[in-house]
Amino acid sequence: MPSEVNIRVTGGAGQGVHTVGTLLFRMAVIAGHHFHLTQDYMSRIRGGRNSQTVRIGTEPVRAGRDTAEILLAVNPDQLPGVLPGVTPGGFAIADTAESFPNLANAPLKELASAAGSPILANVAGTGAIAFAIGFPREHADPLFEEMFSGPFREKNRKAFHLGWEWAKGHLPGEWSTRFVLPPGEFAPRIVMSGNEALALGAIAGGCTFACGYPMTPGTGILSVLADEGPKTGLVFEQAEDEIAALNMAIGAAYTGARSLVATSGGGFALMVEALSLAGMMETPVVIALAMRPGPATGMPTRTEQGELEFALSAGHGEFPRLILSPGSPGEAFDLAQHAMETAERFQVPVIVLTDQLLADTVVDLDPKEIVVRPVRRHIVRGEQVPRTPKGKYLRYALTDSGVSPMAVPGEPGITVVAGSDEHTEDGHLTEDHRARVEMVRKRLRKGASLARETLPPLFTGPPRGDVLLIGFGSTKEAVAEARGILAGEGKSAGTVHLRQVWPFPAQEIAEILPRYRTCLTVENNATGQLARLIRRETGASVSGSILRYDGLPFAPSEIAAEAGRRA
Amino acid sequence: MTDRFDTGVENAWCPGCGNFAILKAVKKALEALGREPHQIVLVSGIGQAAKLPHYVDVNVFNGLHGRALPAAAAIKMANPGLTVAVTSGDGDIYGEGGNHFLHNIRRNVDIALFVHDNQVYGLTKGQPSPTSDPGWAGSLARSGVTSGPFPPLATALALGCGFVARGTAADIDLTADLMLQAIRFPGFALVDVLQPCVTFNKKNTWQWYGKMVYKIPEGHDPTDRKKAFDLALEWDDRIPVGVLYRVERPHYGELHPALAGPPLHKREPRAETVRGLLEKRTIGVR
Repeated sequence: MPSEVNIRVTGGAGQGVHTVGTLLFRMAVIAGHHFHLTQDYMSRIRGGRNSQTVRIGTEPVRAGRDTAEILLAVNPDQLPGVLPGVTPGGFAIADTAESFPNLANAPLKELASAAGSPILANVAGTGAIAFAIGFPREHADPLFEEMFSGPFREKNRKAFHLGWEWAKGHLPGEWSTRFVLPPGEFAPRIVMSGNEALALGAIAGGCTFACGYPMTPGTGILSVLADEGPKTGLVFEQAEDEIAALNMAIGAAYTGARSLVATSGGGFALMVEALSLAGMMETPVVIALAMRPGPATGMPTRTEQGELEFALSAGHGEFPRLILSPGSPGEAFDLAQHAMETAERFQVPVIVLTDQLLADTVVDLDPKEIVVRPVRRHIVRGEQVPRTPKGKYLRYALTDSGVSPMAVPGEPGITVVAGSDEHTEDGHLTEDHRARVEMVRKRLRKGASLARETLPPLFTGPPRGDVLLIGFGSTKEAVAEARGILAGEGKSAGTVHLRQVWPFPAQEIAEILPRYRTCLTVENNATGQLARLIRRETGASVSGSILRYDGLPFAPSEIAAEAGRRA
Repeated sequence: MTDRFDTGVENAWCPGCGNFAILKAVKKALEALGREPHQIVLVSGIGQAAKLPHYVDVNVFNGLHGRALPAAAAIKMANPGLTVAVTSGDGDIYGEGGNHFLHNIRRNVDIALFVHDNQVYGLTKGQPSPTSDPGWAGSLARSGVTSGPFPPLATALALGCGFVARGTAADIDLTADLMLQAIRFPGFALVDVLQPCVTFNKKNTWQWYGKMVYKIPEGHDPTDRKKAFDLALEWDDRIPVGVLYRVERPHYGELHPALAGPPLHKREPRAETVRGLLEKRTIGVR
């Protein structure tokens, strides 16, 4: 029996591709299995070609694969385009008169009509898949209660059953046995996409103000904050443009709210002056930057890691910032909390880099692994507010750490003065050159304090080896799986996952590079930005980079193959 | 009497600048308001006008050029208990910040906006602003402005602004009273304050305003929007000052589903609520 199976459903927008994916992963969890779901959609509302790929396994599945053993093509016209993605030995299900060697012709529309409507063809197909992978038919029953309402509950359930029965009676022999999964043992699992995890992590981290302007793939973060945030007292507002969004977040932060904005590359470009404002005013703020292929409008619904250098250098002038790069939904939940607190602790802007792959990836998680940290505030109030002998509060008091105690407006007896011009300790604007030097040094000292709290990269592998794969953000899991493939081929491979790219963990990287014969960065961009960052910060060059910039994610096998060629 | 709001910060305005009068009006209004300095926030962008908050001993957010309104709106959202007023120039608010002017009036956030309207960019040395008269020759437009002027009062009225007024640096008492009314008005309140720029605007001078400006008569019904539009569009022959329009409607703080309650800096998520959000996404927990 296989321990995993990769299932893909393709169709046009509006044909129920999403429903199939959801039914499959929910059934997987009920059956005691694990799953990884990726979404592939176009920049439109109806038609085109969308797909979801659900990789189901008896062990936790963290990355996707390029070929699928079972393909459901809801729109049979798309078969020529999608059949090549079927693994040798696998099969496709579609309602068509055409014949292909690996196609099981299923009368999905007829089955769906018998259930109540031809639009249920997707669910009929899902029933057939469920049979092929050995899921008991009853596992799906509670899902129809949850997912549908009114007469559609029964119609969907019927369509599913009819599809299942059809497969039982008609699916050719090997295809009804080859992909049956062994039974699992159910345990409750949290199901979250990367975007949901980031948003919920921000809420858990005490976010009380969020705003943004819709831009794919960041919009999902805003939706969760808008819908769920009010339960914890979060105030959400849709901004008129991205310039407003970040300026609003900074205003709210000045007033003591933990603030977050979410956007993509083009929106971040508009936010850049305000990023500089946060640096000068020393206001905490978190920016979720969900990357997609650029430049300009690029490919709105695809993935890329092209804004690393932009995030590092954005904003005129010199000021400290933190840049985090989670590699999975679980890590996004945790790092979002870390972002909210660290922003306030050091009064810096924090950029959390994510991308369409991570935004739309859904996995199941062990509830015990999802930790809600206690919220620790870093605002001074009452007696803690330092006052000069004349009773004044200095918002930008010079301190050894570079971090000035932060009071908020409304604190009785004092005023908080914050400005975008260079300022003296009291916040008022100055053109004095000595004061300027003092403030620059203070901000840089703050940056040094922040650097001392750098999250070390995550390393896996033997102390020495043939090939080291280094990545940041969403390549984490594909790289990890690639390492396993290489190990299986007798190559000693290691991986480094950077979950923080700035301040850069130079010491750790410089220490590990020499221990491997071939060091390669793995990046979803065309010019190897991480490789350049490593060279800039450590003086050491990697051997090369494995790059993918077609808008689609890496498959573990492709990373392993390329690494094997270069090692 | 206005001394208690002095900050002692060295002033950077030209002698004779209309901003001095506007500063006096702001202090007068705040004095009459009767709130403590820590309960007030003045927000500005960049320009000579935008330096005003540094000369008033209250909380100050002096942000980016054109971006005072987003910051002010969010400050008010984050702590509705604060009195929030924006005091900035016509270029900052109507030019660079035009989009925020439009949309914050729509939001009807409960803030007051005082625009120092001198029809020129003073700090950058004399370029036309959105409110410059056509034909006026300034830096970068030596043959005269060809664009039509931006009509702030009429624009505000068109967007449904609930309090629309015009003041003048030549009448501190009038302007102070308008500012106080604006602060007290529940919702977005605009006071466009005419002022001369003695250094760069040789057309709209103290003398010119002296001839053109007249007070809106007592008989004007401030709930009459059509009449308010007529007043807003008067400029070529005479310029009305006073309250053009005043009608209350529910403001942002009353309409937003999550604003009521403690200021945001006092809110923290309850762990049980967060766990509930996770449980909602857990298969196998009902």
